Amino acid sequence: MTTVRVHGATKSFGRTRALDGVDLEAGPGVTGLLGPNGAGKTTLLRMIATVLAPDQGTVTLLGRDPSRPDDRTWIRERLGYLPQDAGFHRGFTVFEFIDYVAILKEMTDRRARHDEVRRVIAVTGLQAVTGKRIRALSGGMRRRVGLAQALLGDPDLLVLDEPTVGLDPEQRLRFREMISHAGEGRTVIMSSHQTEDITALCARIAVIHQGRARFTGTPAELMAQAAGRVWTDTERSPAAITAWRTGDGAYRNVGDPPAGAELIPPTLEDAYLLLMGGSELEVTPS
Amino acid sequence: MTVWHLDPETIRRYAQGAAPPDVAASAEAHLMKCAACRGAISSHVDARRVESIWQEVADRVDAPRRSRPERMLIRLGVGEATARLVAVTPTLRGPWLLAVAGVLALAAWAAQVDERFLLMFLVVAPLGPLAGVAVAFAGGLDPTREIGLAAPYSGLRLLLIRTAAVLAVTAPIVAAAGLALPGSTWTAAAWLLPTAGLTCAALALTARMTPVVAVGAVATAWVLVTAPAAVAGHLDLAFGMGAQIFWLAVAMGGGLWLAVTRNTVTIKLGRSA
Repeated sequence: MTTVRVHGATKSFGRTRALDGVDLEAGPGVTGLLGPNGAGKTTLLRMIATVLAPDQGTVTLLGRDPSRPDDRTWIRERLGYLPQDAGFHRGFTVFEFIDYVAILKEMTDRRARHDEVRRVIAVTGLQAVTGKRIRALSGGMRRRVGLAQALLGDPDLLVLDEPTVGLDPEQRLRFREMISHAGEGRTVIMSSHQTEDITALCARIAVIHQGRARFTGTPAELMAQAAGRVWTDTERSPAAITAWRTGDGAYRNVGDPPAGAELIPPTLEDAYLLLMGGSELEVTPS
Repeated sequence: MTVWHLDPETIRRYAQGAAPPDVAASAEAHLMKCAACRGAISSHVDARRVESIWQEVADRVDAPRRSRPERMLIRLGVGEATARLVAVTPTLRGPWLLAVAGVLALAAWAAQVDERFLLMFLVVAPLGPLAGVAVAFAGGLDPTREIGLAAPYSGLRLLLIRTAAVLAVTAPIVAAAGLALPGSTWTAAAWLLPTAGLTCAALALTARMTPVVAVGAVATAWVLVTAPAAVAGHLDLAFGMGAQIFWLAVAMGGGLWLAVTRNTVTIKLGRSA
């Protein structure tokens, strides 16, 4: 069942073309967006979150057209959104902030609203900091507060922009667990730079580059494209798009292997780098 | 260790919430110390009543603290959800209001020093409330704007609530500054209808542009038209009876347009909404 359908969507900001005819389809489960900075992932997610309308192309969410005011309100009643730079009224406590967002989500009955706030606080494991001011929380806890507000009303569609950015490994694992749980029975669209998160969580992925979807399919299908193109050697191979020395002293080469190369199974990261043709490396040198 | 126990009748009445306050207080004090009576009372307790009491306690503990403006609004009959939306309006914070008061006090002081500056006060006066409306929706000052844009809450309703709140707070500041003007002619209040008209015009434009741009457009037009008239001393042109009727018509026309199109027009609360 397709719950999110984006077809030929374009969006420009001044002279910058953020999206250039992107196509995307997603259904229940977690769908991941991968891509370098400035690829258009956030613009696409804002479009799916009904915050942004395409200049051209169509968007259908949960079977409705968000360009129609009535449909848009209907969609928003069933939508949870965690923006990339989720802002907080820092003087609010955790409960107060989530309660404020619940008001924006038209939960007008005070008792029922507070019950719902308590529910999402429990789901995201924030009970111990319910009464703490947000300005006193760590970045990871704030991100959790952001997820909690997105889960208000048990939405059918959850849009998460870089939910794991800036989290330490333990918090990332905790987040994975929460997102995985959230993806049961509802549509979750998330972006991430972390290929491990995408591999661990997503049934489908789309690689966005220069405003277009360069790949859509399962992580296994993307990794299959890199089969036979990753090898180890005692030195950096000139045939490699990229190569790095691993902990055991051998070089992991990604590209077109020479004859007789010692091939190894590719990871999603290898496949992603190959798909981008090394362009990703130009913007994120390490 | 306690040596006496609650009698069965007291236990039953306390468990049902039917004990008089003095007996209930005594029973509670005893129950805190006596495991045997706690065990005896458990079979009399209605689980639904306990759940309801527990929910009430949890709600009292968790409930957001209401700020002074929120408490005041609720006392005036505003719903608690609406009061909270008003209370977080960036424009209603102290520093912003002080800035508006400062500018207007300066203009009023200048008018006292030289009466020719009276007209400049009238030009500046509507800009305070107008700027307040714009700032209420400025992205940098509302940290939750992005989340709000994706929420089902009506953009028009939020716009009107916040605009009304901004006008309710800034208009008295302008009025107070007007009292400091020299003389006691009607000109001290001549800014009122232009302010209403400009605000309604800006609100009507929010179907086409963001509140910040809409307010910028009408404020620029206002200054371009009135400032030269004020400098030339043509009071009637900008603030005379004819001008007042014109602004009344603009205010009514803008209000009517908002009322008629409330269900069909999308308000652009953000740059990209």
